[in-house]
Amino acid sequence: MKKVHIIGIIIIAVAIGAILTTLNNTSTYANFSEAAQSPGSEYHVVGKYNKDKESIYDPQVNANLFTFYMIDNQGTEKKVILNKNKPQDFERSEQIVLIGKMQGEEFIASDILMKCPSKYNDGKPQETADNK
Amino acid sequence: MEYIGEHLWIGKIGNVFVILSFAFALLASISYFFASKDNDETPAWKRLARIAFRIHSISVIGIVVTLFIMLYNHYFEFEYVWHHSNKEMPLRYILSCFWEGQEGSFLLWTFWHVTLGLILQQTSRTFEAPVMATISLVQVFLASMLSGVFILGHRIGSNPFTVLLREHPDFSNIPLFSNPNYLEKLDGRGLNPLLQNYWMTIHPPVLFLGFALTVIPFAYAIAGLWKKQYTEWIKPALPWAFFGVMILGTGVLMGGAWAYEALSFGGFWAWDPVENASLVPWLTLVGVAHVMLINRNSNQSLFITFFLTIITFILILYSTFLTRSGILGESSVHAFTDLGMSGQLLIYLLFFLLLGIILLIINRKHFPKQKEEAIWSREFWIFVGAVVLLISSFQIIFYTSMPVWNKLFHLNKAPAKDVVNFYNSWQLPFAFIILLLIAVSQFFKYKQTDVKIFYKKIAASFFISLALTLFIAFALNFSKPLYSLLLFSAVFAVTANADYTIRVLKGKVKKAGASIAHIGFAFILLGALISTSKKDVISQNTSGKSIESLGGQMSNNDNILLTQGDTLPMGRYYVTYSGKRFEGINVNFDVDYFIRNNDGTFKKEFSLAPLVQTNPRMGNVAEPDTRHFLTFDVYTHVTYADLESLKEKANETTDEYAPAKNYTMKKGDTIFSSNAIIILDSLTTAIDKEKYAIGKEDIAAIANFSVLDITKKYQAKPVYVIHENRIQPIASKIDELGLQFLFWKINPANATIEISLQEKKENIRDFIVMQAMIFPYINILWIGCIVMIIGTMLAIWERIKRSKRELFQ
Repeated sequence: MKKVHIIGIIIIAVAIGAILTTLNNTSTYANFSEAAQSPGSEYHVVGKYNKDKESIYDPQVNANLFTFYMIDNQGTEKKVILNKNKPQDFERSEQIVLIGKMQGEEFIASDILMKCPSKYNDGKPQETADNK
Repeated sequence: MEYIGEHLWIGKIGNVFVILSFAFALLASISYFFASKDNDETPAWKRLARIAFRIHSISVIGIVVTLFIMLYNHYFEFEYVWHHSNKEMPLRYILSCFWEGQEGSFLLWTFWHVTLGLILQQTSRTFEAPVMATISLVQVFLASMLSGVFILGHRIGSNPFTVLLREHPDFSNIPLFSNPNYLEKLDGRGLNPLLQNYWMTIHPPVLFLGFALTVIPFAYAIAGLWKKQYTEWIKPALPWAFFGVMILGTGVLMGGAWAYEALSFGGFWAWDPVENASLVPWLTLVGVAHVMLINRNSNQSLFITFFLTIITFILILYSTFLTRSGILGESSVHAFTDLGMSGQLLIYLLFFLLLGIILLIINRKHFPKQKEEAIWSREFWIFVGAVVLLISSFQIIFYTSMPVWNKLFHLNKAPAKDVVNFYNSWQLPFAFIILLLIAVSQFFKYKQTDVKIFYKKIAASFFISLALTLFIAFALNFSKPLYSLLLFSAVFAVTANADYTIRVLKGKVKKAGASIAHIGFAFILLGALISTSKKDVISQNTSGKSIESLGGQMSNNDNILLTQGDTLPMGRYYVTYSGKRFEGINVNFDVDYFIRNNDGTFKKEFSLAPLVQTNPRMGNVAEPDTRHFLTFDVYTHVTYADLESLKEKANETTDEYAPAKNYTMKKGDTIFSSNAIIILDSLTTAIDKEKYAIGKEDIAAIANFSVLDITKKYQAKPVYVIHENRIQPIASKIDELGLQFLFWKINPANATIEISLQEKKENIRDFIVMQAMIFPYINILWIGCIVMIIGTMLAIWERIKRSKRELFQ
């Protein structure tokens, strides 16, 4: 057997290993009810923050705790406990992605990603006060 | 409606350039194609092709200049100008605006291709026609990305000269546009505040030059296959490949430096998809350059040379596709939004992939027969290194492409929570192998090496490195075996290459380009290893309330609350938040770092001013601040600040009071406001009724308070009045302290009174939530970057000199 063949076999083995571990090392996009079916496993849940319900962030007590309510894309609402600071532009977010797991009736999130409409998408032209 | 003052003519000029650039790129590629054949017409085709490519180049420069003039003069009637700039923009950001959008960045890329093409016209000699045919063809595709014309209902590309009101007919409902003179009142959206720094001015041109440079080895490889000059193309392509390694590497590292300085990643590398997308082609390009070296010396590894060269250019196109198709969506912080060009990008990518792969397969059987490499030869181990780089790239790009697999196979996979850890667990072993190869490869000779001599030569470096590693691992307290192995391989790579430079090359720096570059690379990994694995988050939660008690093992207590004026210990520092400053739309938070002297006094070491940029149109963006020392950096980042109350403070002196707090007190009791101690001294009914304008029949009492702040004593005398059976208290204010007292009830039963105390809102102490980290020895990484760039430059210089010598002999 030539060395090239040996190396070839090693390449293929490592590549398959990379593919398999990659597929194992992923989380899944889900909604709250799916996440509730297997509590303890990690999911990405996409939804909107409920503006009508109270969200609490009291950094004087705990700077790493933020609780709020989120409605997922199916319309299910759950209380969310985020073990992190409140994101700076939270109120502006139009969509949020939570990473975490269900625990009882609450979703314990370890991280949050937000999509803010104003940051990357189009704004409308605005009139300026000064007419230079 | 007729609008006044629109400069539509300049857009028309721009569009003429767009059309010309496309047409002449097409003409250039066709005529270069015919010029590649060897017959009577060849010289004529070549003349035509050269002229066509030059006209194409002038047109591209014309587009660049036109767009720049439009941005410079704030012609907001054009969509691109309105979208990416505004009137307040200083000149240095105009360039950033230029390449903020997709059209502008394509233009930058095209511009570099044109520049390189003009150089190749002069230098590529016999390869000119076939090489330029490919480059011109690439330009045809790129030029079409700027056309914005409709073909069969599909828009091809996105045109930078689109007029705002034509692009967005829906805007005509906005009242502003019912004014024919709307331009007088229109301002642009401005540049994303994240991008308003000097990095955005220097990073994209370097990165895109790196992208553009990959087209040259690709074009040479295609020419080699097409003209059946399977090995001849490598010699002229080799310096370009190394130049690409240098520039693209600089671009990638600049991206890391930018993330470290200005973004809130909390490090210089986060395995973000966009970072990965440009790292991966760099890795394969490094592989290309090295296997080309093998070929120059021993005609080995021809297939992998072609394969890596083709795949590198395809990966550049793929990375463009990933970042511009919007497919990364939520998984990356800085992807572009989709402009509907993903389909085109895919066609573009598949076209060149198929072109390359089909040519390679057809020609494979005609490749010159090669002898198998010996195990103890330099070419064998360089080949192994290139293979490791290829697998490493594959692992990164496969995981990064998760959103693509989701789309293709209708999967539902999201990236894991700890992406960084996953990448590291794969990439650290690869880095270990690569570093070992870097250490030993130069001590092998091409063809065949005497193993005994090899052992003898490498032994010194090996044992010195072992000793050094033990020392460093002990001093820095390395506990993980994998990290210690990597530490050893990095140290080994540095010492072995230094040894090679001194003993084998006799210290001739000019010849030592490769060794110096390898030392630089090893330093980069060494710095990355130490600064990341020994990163110290000093802003741990010290408030006492633990997050673990709230359930879940996912504690994340990197954030800490700092109230204005308070001092908290963090690592060896004592940290104070002293207040905020407003600079334009930036809010700077001043954080002072003290150290404690032996006598217990505190000495201020330095101040940092992390900031939050409040842009009304784009939201708030936080930017960290870092203090650099020789052996470590202190990184500070505001993760949360109460920006709502901040807005009120921005318009200053609101006389508003916060909601009142009620207290029940008896004589001698003490209460606290946020800025003072308040004591109820006495109660009396002896009262000068005229002074307070109280009726003779009314019942009145005064409460006498002493109010003490650090420096002074104040008096407060709120009055309790019953006028015609109604309570009508008279408030007492202390304006200096922003306090207001109201005395509104007497409880005769237990001799207490009830008061309410209000504080002005500005009294309430400001706070921030922040993170502070120490990155030890991160300077090794930055030094490594510079050393690697210098080394590569030396190596290219040597090679060009050598090939010139060969030419004149």
